[in-house]
Amino acid sequence: MTLISPTETGQPQPVLVKDSIISARHLTKKFGGEFAVEDVSFDVPRASIFGFIGPSGSGKTTTIRLLTGVYTPSEGDVSVIDRSPAHFSQRERALLGYMPQLFVLYPTLTVWENLNFAASLYGMGLFRGKRLAEALKFVELYDHRGKLARNISGGMQRRLSLAATLVHDPQLIFLDEPTAGIDPVLRRKFWDHFRELKAQGRTIFITTQYVSEADNCDLVGVQNNGRLLLVDTPQGIRHRAYGGDMVDFRTDQPFDFEAEASLRSLPFVRAKTVRTGPDSMRIIVNQASSDTPQLMAWAQRQNIQVKTVEEYMPPFEDVFVELMRTEVKNG
Amino acid sequence: MGNFFRGIVRSSAFIRKEIFEILRQPRLVATLVLGPFLILFIFGIGYRDQPTVLRTLFVAQPNSAISPQQIETSVKSVGSQLTYAGSTANLDDALNRLRHGQVDLVVVEPVDAVSTIKSNQQAVFTFYHEEIDPVQVTYISYLGWLFVGEVNQEVLRAFAVQGQKEAVNLHASLQDAHQNLSDMRQAVQSGDQVVAQQKQQQLIGNVDAVSLGVATSLGLLDSLKQAQGTAAANANPPQNTLTDLQQNISQLGTSTDTTDQRLARIDKMDKDLTDLDAQLTEFKSIDPSIIVSPFRNKTKSIANIQPTTAEFFALAVLALLLQHLAVTFAALSIVRERNVGTMELFRVSPLSAAEALIGKYLSYMLFGSVIAAILSALLIFTLHVPMLGNWWYFALVIAAVLFSSLGIGFAISIISQTDSQAVQYSMIILLASVFFSGFIMSLDMLWAPVKVISWLLPTTYGTLLLRNIALRGADPNWGLLAALIALGLVLMLISWQLMRRLITTSE
Repeated sequence: MTLISPTETGQPQPVLVKDSIISARHLTKKFGGEFAVEDVSFDVPRASIFGFIGPSGSGKTTTIRLLTGVYTPSEGDVSVIDRSPAHFSQRERALLGYMPQLFVLYPTLTVWENLNFAASLYGMGLFRGKRLAEALKFVELYDHRGKLARNISGGMQRRLSLAATLVHDPQLIFLDEPTAGIDPVLRRKFWDHFRELKAQGRTIFITTQYVSEADNCDLVGVQNNGRLLLVDTPQGIRHRAYGGDMVDFRTDQPFDFEAEASLRSLPFVRAKTVRTGPDSMRIIVNQASSDTPQLMAWAQRQNIQVKTVEEYMPPFEDVFVELMRTEVKNG
Repeated sequence: MGNFFRGIVRSSAFIRKEIFEILRQPRLVATLVLGPFLILFIFGIGYRDQPTVLRTLFVAQPNSAISPQQIETSVKSVGSQLTYAGSTANLDDALNRLRHGQVDLVVVEPVDAVSTIKSNQQAVFTFYHEEIDPVQVTYISYLGWLFVGEVNQEVLRAFAVQGQKEAVNLHASLQDAHQNLSDMRQAVQSGDQVVAQQKQQQLIGNVDAVSLGVATSLGLLDSLKQAQGTAAANANPPQNTLTDLQQNISQLGTSTDTTDQRLARIDKMDKDLTDLDAQLTEFKSIDPSIIVSPFRNKTKSIANIQPTTAEFFALAVLALLLQHLAVTFAALSIVRERNVGTMELFRVSPLSAAEALIGKYLSYMLFGSVIAAILSALLIFTLHVPMLGNWWYFALVIAAVLFSSLGIGFAISIISQTDSQAVQYSMIILLASVFFSGFIMSLDMLWAPVKVISWLLPTTYGTLLLRNIALRGADPNWGLLAALIALGLVLMLISWQLMRRLITTSE
């Protein structure tokens, strides 16, 4: 799969993805002269999970609304299921599932009635009771089906929204922060289900405020101030954030300054190293897989007994902070 | 599953959803049913179809020609609207009592009425009041007109009584005239010129005396006959009879007349005197009140029933309430979808504007019909509002009123941004309906261009149609019903276009 690469100007350039279900080109949305989304381009492959992360107000929800046809772009083009969202037919709309960021169902209807309403909205047949029950069981709301939506917790309302989004078995699913307010156990269950849906050929476009969830995605787009900073695999994003892979290097004796200077002078080691203990150091290399043997060879030459060398996967929160820090630094 | 069937499923989602949402508010439903019923019930038992009674104080002038008794009689003649609260000679005191609410009306007698009338001018009774309500002011003006009419009649009645008293003396003069004419006939037949001339002079005296009284007494009677129409008006008026008499008497003495001609004149005079006597007898036998006020009115309706005020208004209330209910529910419906955020879901879903609107129309039509059925049953079987017409026509009109009103509500809802805006617009429609639908005043009282507003309001049609069906037992005015349905269709089309823009057009 070919992904977007940063250019010299730092602006990601789109590279065509084969069999993309969503394709955005220079997508821009302005509200009264203010850019909500600015010159965003990306492709979403069919049957994948595409994560969209970014701080609050970065334009994630606006982007989803542009993709679903709620908004029309001020500039640029977008194609979803080979069609501009503004010109979706009823049949094409029936292929979509959309979970907005806020709870938008009816507080005075019960959980079951709300789900039933959502199912009817997509024209599901009269014998849909079993499907409704399954959806409610999946989000663990079946036992609460008789409760009014206004009387259930915020997390339960999110789960009900998710059930309403998935009840008609859509092909392309837009989820705007579906796991917000959901406990970690259920959140993991949701992600398991999303992967299952992906395995069944469904495409999921998901925004999340939990940066760590980006690891569950096939592709991640990072957005800030309405601009898409990059699109890559989770691993690729880590690589970009720190300028290489991180390796934790531990020896049987403390590092001296000479050894550290020698280590830094290696061509595949980036300048930035971090001491994580008297006998351990975290270094950044070009490629962990190919550079680890060279690292071992250097240690041998230096008569340093290596206890462990292993690739370090920084938490996505740290990756995200690093990306944002770089973004601020670059203006 | 075909797209048509899916469309039905999508519309049905709204029917269920709206009904469930309404039923989750039992207090609202109870208020919608019981509120108007209780208002009408209390109005029905509390409304007294009686005019306002005004305590009336009279200011008499010094040396007044009208006695307090005459004033009181006039007041009583007007009816129960006026009660006699006494008489005073001090205008300032009377006005002070009016300001302090001790009396409702002060009537000031004209100053030196006799001189004013003699100078060929009408004497004026002045009515003081402290009302600001234009309807009450009109009412007082009307009562003033009635009162002065009664005073005028009282004066005429006194005049007629006097005429009848004088008629007794006239009758004696006529008897003398008859006797002198009889003697004159004998003198003419016997050729006794001296006696004939003597009787002629006496007869002239009799006729002159009669003519003075008859001119006024029988003049009243003659005016009465003139007013009755052509047959009575053709009869010889008393004044002509008197003129004939006087001419015949003066010509009796002419030398050119033969004896037969003179006897013929005497026969004619005898007939005229008999005629006058008969008219005088007739005049005396008529009640003076009848002479001065010979006609009265009596109204009879050819309608099947005469409903009470509460019954008459009940159907207008029903139409107004159903319109308000439909407008308010529909007005809040779409604006709430927008506020809750579901409109965003609708835009992404395969739902079309027509499917959403049809679902909402059907749900509110269903709900409105149930409310209308309960209210109609309560009005007719509990408050005993008459229902003379066909129930199916009644239901058809109700459905048409609901349909058109929903169109207004949905149009409001789509252009409103918030709940309070929608409620405000609904209240404006309600206010317009109270003033322009013929609810409190007849449509005929409105300037023609303003009636355009009336004909844009379903209540206008509903009130007229429901009253015709229920209170007259008539078939609906099909033209009016067609216009109401056409109004509903136009509004539905507008709502559909607005809804399409809302659902399918992106921001």
